[in-house]
Amino acid sequence: MSGLSGFSSVLGAWYDFRDLNNLQRLITEWIAEWGPDWIASIVTGVLGALAVLGVIGPTLLILIWVERKVIARFQQRYGPNRVGPKGLLQPVADAVKLILKEQLAPRSADKLLFFLPPVLIFVPGILIWGVLPFGPRMSVADLNVGVLFLLAVSGTAVLVLFMAGWSSNNKYALFGAMRAVAMSISYEVPMVLALLTLVVFSGTMSVNGIVEWQQQEDVIFILLFPLSAVAFFFAASAELNRTPADISEAESEIVAGYHTEYSGMRFGLFYAVELGNTLVVSGFIATFFLGGWWLWGLDQWVPSWIILLAKTGAVYFLLIWTRGTLPRLRVDQLMGFCWKALVPATLLFVVVAFVERTLLISEGWDTTVALPIMAVFNIALTLGAIMLFARVSRPAALRRPARIRMAGAEIGGLRAARQIASRTEEPQFQVGGD
Amino acid sequence: MSDFGFHLAFWALAAMTLGGASMILISRNLIHAVIWLVMSMLGIAGLYLTLSADFIAVVQVLIYVGAISVLMLFAIMLTPRAERDNSQTKISAPAGLVVLLVMIATMWVAVDTDWGPVRDGALTEQARLIGESLIKHYILPFEIGAVLLTAALVGAIALARQDDEDGPVHAASLQAELDGETSIDPADVIDPPLASEPSDGGTTS
Repeated sequence: MSGLSGFSSVLGAWYDFRDLNNLQRLITEWIAEWGPDWIASIVTGVLGALAVLGVIGPTLLILIWVERKVIARFQQRYGPNRVGPKGLLQPVADAVKLILKEQLAPRSADKLLFFLPPVLIFVPGILIWGVLPFGPRMSVADLNVGVLFLLAVSGTAVLVLFMAGWSSNNKYALFGAMRAVAMSISYEVPMVLALLTLVVFSGTMSVNGIVEWQQQEDVIFILLFPLSAVAFFFAASAELNRTPADISEAESEIVAGYHTEYSGMRFGLFYAVELGNTLVVSGFIATFFLGGWWLWGLDQWVPSWIILLAKTGAVYFLLIWTRGTLPRLRVDQLMGFCWKALVPATLLFVVVAFVERTLLISEGWDTTVALPIMAVFNIALTLGAIMLFARVSRPAALRRPARIRMAGAEIGGLRAARQIASRTEEPQFQVGGD
Repeated sequence: MSDFGFHLAFWALAAMTLGGASMILISRNLIHAVIWLVMSMLGIAGLYLTLSADFIAVVQVLIYVGAISVLMLFAIMLTPRAERDNSQTKISAPAGLVVLLVMIATMWVAVDTDWGPVRDGALTEQARLIGESLIKHYILPFEIGAVLLTAALVGAIALARQDDEDGPVHAASLQAELDGETSIDPADVIDPPLASEPSDGGTTS
């Protein structure tokens, strides 16, 4: 691996902390000397899972604090500042409180299906980490179909949310579950299409392969396919139920959505998995679009996993930023945005990726010349698409008073608006039908 | 691949698949039946993995667990009283006959085919092979499938967009919601041209 050629003398030794896989590889080699190889596979898996859990567990506690602090700053508050220095122990206090709380279950709930979801929701949440490469050889499972694995595993989480919402026997929980399911299957489409551009262009479905392609061609994918990056970012924040798109647990509409009836640590588990998913999705956005563990040669001097964590942190901050800034979309707006804006746009870029890939491979264009041209073209296309969307969607907001729902005549504010419009020479609102 | 781990995986996954499948038949609650179906599907995905078919396994999870079962849940939720009742109906006998025929056909093919053993070792890149064979050898079935799916999609949209019983005005406003605000001309909503609407718009049911 070219990324590790900096100090070749310590390469592969267990204390070479730039590649944490060394330690694990030595252990498996040691087991392979005396034991059957299925023990080695099991030990590898357990070590990988423990490493992942060891990263997530403490990180989550810090992230809760970070998120609350940052959101507070966006809203000009102080955030948690009582428990511990700078409020750092607040998440610990919250966790203790949640564990000590009584766990209620509705009498009419479906007993088994009500009990299972807080546990089952962990399975996809942990499995996703398996294909995230922290370095050239540092992913728990570097699958050939890593991208598909990511989509498949994250798709199963919906089922668990549905189980939670249905078994609660509560209409708000059911509403939340239905919204979560509808939103999730809708936003899976632009997510798949956004990743398809990368898969088509790099010619591999392995997550690590995509990073290596970016390293090889000296370019990060956000420059080549900015619209895919934006679409993936928004679709991911919708799948994560984060605030611009958190209609499935919108507290002002449906109490808390699918986890309305969950109290105590059961709610805490949902909350923890949601945060963990946010972290891992930030990691995947950093991996797919920002180059992952690679950063123009800096990965020879800085451990690759630190680079990935730094990029992940940056994307995570962006997710908090959108959460703190943007208001919640209505359910029809959210679905409309998916099907009418994101899907056509990402589909367009799949076609663009096909054409450009053909130009590179079949026509044999020189990548050092062609890639910058393609990047400029794609960025221009992205800006054009966004401006087109802004232009097309703008009159809708202006025309809103003209829309009548479930009524056959002009009523209320519309009539008044027309009267105002007929009195003045230049109507302030554009009222349709005049 | 050592024998013990392989056998353990196979028997555990087979038990999971068959157990889930029999629980579908036993459970009275349709939602529970779908959850058991998901378990059975996951077992099948695992069996694919033991056959070194990683692409098929992942696609099985993506499509059957992530999408089809969710659609089934939606269908059950949108059907009145369906979720409470998995009991016998009048079509039990013909349905059983159809299932029997399908089972016999599947078994026939399974017994008749000359299966080759799967090579041990690391997983190869199968997505590329599947894609190449789809584009080169099986291009016609592939295209037919694509056309069929498109037709189903268009048909579903056509069915879902039938006019409502509340008359053309309501239908127009519903249409506006479906179309979004961008493509509807407000004039159509405010002054519905009643004469131009089809008069049988309200009698569909």
